Amino acid sequence: MDQILNNLQQFWEYTGFANATYQHILMICIGIIFITMAIVKEWEPLLLIPIGFGMIIGNIPLFAGLNVGIYEEGSVLNILYNGVQKGWYPPLIFLGIGAMTDFSSLISNPKLLLIGAAAQFGIFAAYAISLSLGFEPSAAGAIGIIGGADGPTAIFLSSRLAPDLMGAIAISAYSYMALVPVIQPPIMRLLTTKKERLIRMKPPRVVSRMEKIVFPIVGLLLTTFIVPSGLPLLGMLFFGNLLKESGVTRRLAETARGPLVDIVTILIGLTVGCSTQADKFLQLNSILIFGLGALSFIVATSAGVLFVKFMNLFLKQGNKINPLIGNSGVSAVPDSARVSENVGLSYDRSNHLLMHAMGPNVAGVIGSAVAAGILLGFLS
Amino acid sequence: MKKYLKFILAGVFVLFQLSLYGQSMTDLRLNELLIVNTDDYQDDFGEHSGWFEIFNTGYGTVDIGGCYLSNDPENLKKYTIPRRDILTRIKPRQHILFWADNKPYRGSFHVNFTLAESSMLILTSSDGSTILDMVSLPLDLKPNESYGRLVDGEGSYGTGSDNTGWGVLSRTSPSTNNHSLDGKSRSERMKETDPFGWIMAVMAMSVVFLSLVMLFLVFKGTGNIALRWSQKKADAYHKNKTKKISLAETSGETFAAISMALHLYANETEVHDIENTILTIEQVRRNYSPWSSKFHSMRKPPEMRKKLDR
Repeated sequence: MDQILNNLQQFWEYTGFANATYQHILMICIGIIFITMAIVKEWEPLLLIPIGFGMIIGNIPLFAGLNVGIYEEGSVLNILYNGVQKGWYPPLIFLGIGAMTDFSSLISNPKLLLIGAAAQFGIFAAYAISLSLGFEPSAAGAIGIIGGADGPTAIFLSSRLAPDLMGAIAISAYSYMALVPVIQPPIMRLLTTKKERLIRMKPPRVVSRMEKIVFPIVGLLLTTFIVPSGLPLLGMLFFGNLLKESGVTRRLAETARGPLVDIVTILIGLTVGCSTQADKFLQLNSILIFGLGALSFIVATSAGVLFVKFMNLFLKQGNKINPLIGNSGVSAVPDSARVSENVGLSYDRSNHLLMHAMGPNVAGVIGSAVAAGILLGFLS
Repeated sequence: MKKYLKFILAGVFVLFQLSLYGQSMTDLRLNELLIVNTDDYQDDFGEHSGWFEIFNTGYGTVDIGGCYLSNDPENLKKYTIPRRDILTRIKPRQHILFWADNKPYRGSFHVNFTLAESSMLILTSSDGSTILDMVSLPLDLKPNESYGRLVDGEGSYGTGSDNTGWGVLSRTSPSTNNHSLDGKSRSERMKETDPFGWIMAVMAMSVVFLSLVMLFLVFKGTGNIALRWSQKKADAYHKNKTKKISLAETSGETFAAISMALHLYANETEVHDIENTILTIEQVRRNYSPWSSKFHSMRKPPEMRKKLDR
């Protein structure tokens, strides 16, 4: 009888109930909130559901040494997490993004590229503020990239510059990407006048196939010659786009933008969620990172909108740009462009800004990858 | 053209081969040596012997197994570095040490000559003829003094190496860097030079803008060229017509509308929605197959035995 009781006692010690702490429960609740937001509000469900569920998996209280936790070397989750730690999931996602992105609106109106550049200011403002709060430059760089509103880029950079903060940075980046429809509209309204919001832009011209093919090749050469450290992201982005635009590699393009990107999204979301183990995640730094991420995002959106207003000072009547597309300079594709469209339509039901906003939006993807390359080059 | 294509492809292939080769063994350098060892480091057998060091300058692991070491230009294959020894794999930017004690039976890293009897040291590739690096040994080197590259891997190398970049080192450093770095990471140096991050912000924003401005300029130019070409084609088509169209002024939406109209016209039969409401029943025909045949049934139906049989 004693033996049975001892075994039961031992079994109880193995269970999650015996090992649970309030931090585990808190993180599991946050995971459930993420899943709820994804299902009820439909905010970035493709990301929030894997991340939210990953948070639950990662915070099941474990008996140490079972070799199942994500930080236990050789466990299944740890092997899957390698793609995040070593930074090879983000370039694969960029391959898919390249294969699904149509750069025609950018090619037809290349000055929209500059908006994508201006919106990266959020990254460096957050970098400066993080430094003043006492973060090391490498950690500050990784935190700043949240303002790029690009989850894969944030994971890629933080895995190199600040692996300890990666969980918090990735969760922060994806959370703010999901909250794009909530965060951006008030800033856009605040910084624009009613007259500016009603500006009608010239419809984009037709872009020839040759231009679309030249774009990824020239884009790769120009950007990576200037910032070679951005090669993994930029190389894959432009390669994916060439697969799409060449017209002769349809199967490869479909795989890259379909099954491949889906598989990697599942793995990256789940493992990033798992990496938020309570003991690693629930720290003062994580709260600071969330605050700095929000600030970075707000500055990036503001910089984009204000830069359009600045550009308009030099543009002729008829060529002016609606500043409501300035928010799209952050690279949350295509959510921020959709926000431009919705806010624009709320002021003029026939003024569709979506195609125009896609220009700075995809420029933001390039811009944030370049910015990540610069930070990596200077701080790694 | 096909004839030339063969030559071009062959050239590319050869270049590719060279570049593959270039990423491996050619990254190896003789880096430091000590000729007379009386009071310096001891080998695993507790003996003081001359030694030399090879440095992998590359960022990939290089297996030195199968390469040759020699002190005789007439006999490049004097000592063969054993293959399939895991210790002969030199990690990126790492060193490997050989003892020049003329006792090769003591292991892979003990060569069959000494430096005291040599005028030069040669590292040859596994093909036995390509000299990867060589160094003339200094005659006036004192005991326990080492001669090496002042900065690891830097200086002349290869067949015609003239010892540029080499010198007597202030201390011996087998299997470690000859030139000590200050040990500070880039991040730490950045913290010292730019504590508030403003220099970084200005510099990085400038680079981001530079990259995207260059893209803007290129695509502004290519856009104009593409438009001019398309315009020329359109003008040629419309040369007999009075009114010419400007492609630059025509939006993609217009072309999309025209394309849709043409598509609907060309596929007129597909646009009769009413046909979807008509129910069509094709003739039902049961094809014969042994699988569906009762005659060829796989299972025999059970039969009742007649009472008389009992």
